Amino acid sequence: MEQVLCDLVVALRGSGVRISPSETMDALAAASLVGFQERGVLRDALSVALAKSRTEKEIFTDCFDRFFSPDGFSTPGATPPLAADAAPNETDSPLSQMLLEGDRAGLSMAMREAADQADIAGITFFTQKRLYIQRILRGMGVDGLDRDILRLSREDQETSPQTVGALKIGREFLFEQVRDFVERQYALYAASAQEAIMDRYLRHMKLSNLEQRDYERMHRIIQRMVKSFNDTHSRRKKGARRGLLDLKKTLRENLAYQGLIFEPRWRARKIDRPDMAVLCDVSRSVEAVSRFMLLFLYSLNEELAKIRSFIFCSNMAEVSYIFDAYPVDEALMRLQRGTGLGVDLGRTDYGQAFRDFKEKWLEKIGRRTTVLILGDARNNYGAPETGILGLIHKRARRVIWLNPESPPFWGTGDSEMRRYLPFCTLARECSSVHHLERVVGFLVRQG
Amino acid sequence: MGLDNQRKFGAIQEVRRGFQDVGYVCSTQIATTLYLAHHLQKPILVEGPAGVGKTELAKAAAAYLDRPLIRLQCYEGLDESKALYEWKYGKQLLYTQILKDKLADLLEGTEGLADALARVHQYDDIFFSERFLAPRPLLLALQEKEGAVLLVDEVDRSDPEFEAFLLEVLSDFQVSVPELGTIHAVSRPYVFLTSNNTREMSEALKRRCLHLYIPFPDARLEREIVRVRAPGVPERLRAQLVGFVQQLRGLDLKKVPSVSETIDWARVLMILNARDLGPDVIRDTLNILLKFEADIEMVEGRLGEMAQKVVR
Repeated sequence: MEQVLCDLVVALRGSGVRISPSETMDALAAASLVGFQERGVLRDALSVALAKSRTEKEIFTDCFDRFFSPDGFSTPGATPPLAADAAPNETDSPLSQMLLEGDRAGLSMAMREAADQADIAGITFFTQKRLYIQRILRGMGVDGLDRDILRLSREDQETSPQTVGALKIGREFLFEQVRDFVERQYALYAASAQEAIMDRYLRHMKLSNLEQRDYERMHRIIQRMVKSFNDTHSRRKKGARRGLLDLKKTLRENLAYQGLIFEPRWRARKIDRPDMAVLCDVSRSVEAVSRFMLLFLYSLNEELAKIRSFIFCSNMAEVSYIFDAYPVDEALMRLQRGTGLGVDLGRTDYGQAFRDFKEKWLEKIGRRTTVLILGDARNNYGAPETGILGLIHKRARRVIWLNPESPPFWGTGDSEMRRYLPFCTLARECSSVHHLERVVGFLVRQG
Repeated sequence: MGLDNQRKFGAIQEVRRGFQDVGYVCSTQIATTLYLAHHLQKPILVEGPAGVGKTELAKAAAAYLDRPLIRLQCYEGLDESKALYEWKYGKQLLYTQILKDKLADLLEGTEGLADALARVHQYDDIFFSERFLAPRPLLLALQEKEGAVLLVDEVDRSDPEFEAFLLEVLSDFQVSVPELGTIHAVSRPYVFLTSNNTREMSEALKRRCLHLYIPFPDARLEREIVRVRAPGVPERLRAQLVGFVQQLRGLDLKKVPSVSETIDWARVLMILNARDLGPDVIRDTLNILLKFEADIEMVEGRLGEMAQKVVR
């Protein structure tokens, strides 16, 4: 029984539910308490011990149902062919006997046992399917069956041709059943292992090479990252909440104790909420990357309360409200097309964008603001207006520039990156999620 | 008492019936969790939308077990001195003042500072004994002789530091007071933690708890809840009002009506002597279910159609 539950835990872990050994122990204890008689109760009990959030509960229910679904041999139309006059021979192997007798329960049991022997829970890649099919078939004693077929077809008894025929059909049937079974197990155990590999691969892939179908997954990765960033961030902030000694208040409160200072009173320190302004380039040259920048921005927006977002191309416009008003897909579409936002998608003009920013929003940048600029600094040989960036740099707590190009290309052609560089607290290449993660890590460390 | 509780948690159905007797209708899922929590001696972390009866569950457990309910409401900035214990500074000070003379007697005949100090040392623990300790909810729950039901309400509002501190209490049922040493639970309390999911709880905390998610009840369960909590509402009306609330939950509202609001509404309808759920009655009492102007406006628009569906 333990083995069954441990397999379930493996399957759950594969599907992305985090389960620690202590929780596995709890599940075992819970299962032995409620018993295995009632499916619903067992499911409830295991769910309480293993799945620890709402989404995990959904995954759990799904996994549980798949895991404890009856295995093969009972699917409609899957009756082993019964050869009525093919009488079971004493010398046949147990597997041939079961096939001839149509003993579905026996076959199912044998398959389960063989699967456990073959350690089916370890299946990870689809290329392993054939291997497992062979292992299970062998475990069920298919060699004996083959020998029987061979022997019977050599003997020329009267009944043997029929028996041989029945056994051959039975063998086919057996193979199909085992294959289906392995498919199901693969879906249960491996699908998610694949997912982990996929995630790792996407992290290092260049953002501009990603395809449409990966967007969804990417969104999730970024969301997770932003969340962990925010968690760590807010945690660090709260630690230092108690301020300096409040002398006046202390004296007043302690008058009751004859002026002895007994209970010190502290000044409350204001909680320093992260305050951000993000400027994102949406021009053609960074089109492929900007989608992810915007995605990152969208996720940031969900997590941080005080964040202002701007997009720019030929000029600049504030778009903070778009993020709140629309779901992610629509928001991104609107931002990239720029329709109705007052942003002109002509030639990229960093100079104009900075002038717009100075005119309308520079006042809002305070010494607690982090300014994040996402763009390639390719200015079509226009005036770069480095002075304005200097102004921003002076007012803001820090200016961070994330450039999708790698450093050797900075300053080549119409790139003004080298000129902007002196006014950035930090400038980094950012062309994959992995890079983004490093920058976020920096943000957290620096506070 | 211990034996009595063993009997009370003898079987899942037993638990379910028992809770119904104290006025809490629970699904099999909830009953199973309560049963397991008792036998595995684990805290329960209850999550779910506001107003599905998370806090009520703890109260019902206290009533069912006949143990005192000790409640700790969490908020941002809650710390050990509010949750666990605090020294009674005033009392300590007062006593030192009163005992000033005794101190002179005590030190009589000592020679030199070192000697005097050595003598005072013999008594130095006096002012840091349990007599001067003001226990707060967590410590109270541990000290309760017969065991208590401890409710840590809205734990998601507390700071992560407090959550970390809570871990010691929840895993070993003991707390360390530096001046006194470690205090163990006299008898293990039955612990509930509730969370509205305003922030994700830490893995470590989740690992130590059984996790129960209470969703909004389905129509059958909600009818049962209304029957128990608002007895006297005729069966016909009960089915209608629950049907209406269930429909409301399907709409895109700012705040969907909770179970407690359903119960309130049932009571109001009873007081108004309503027999059937007509559009007029609903319109007059809609503000009990919906708490936002925009929501009320939206529902009023399609009131006729919704009411018709349930009356039929």
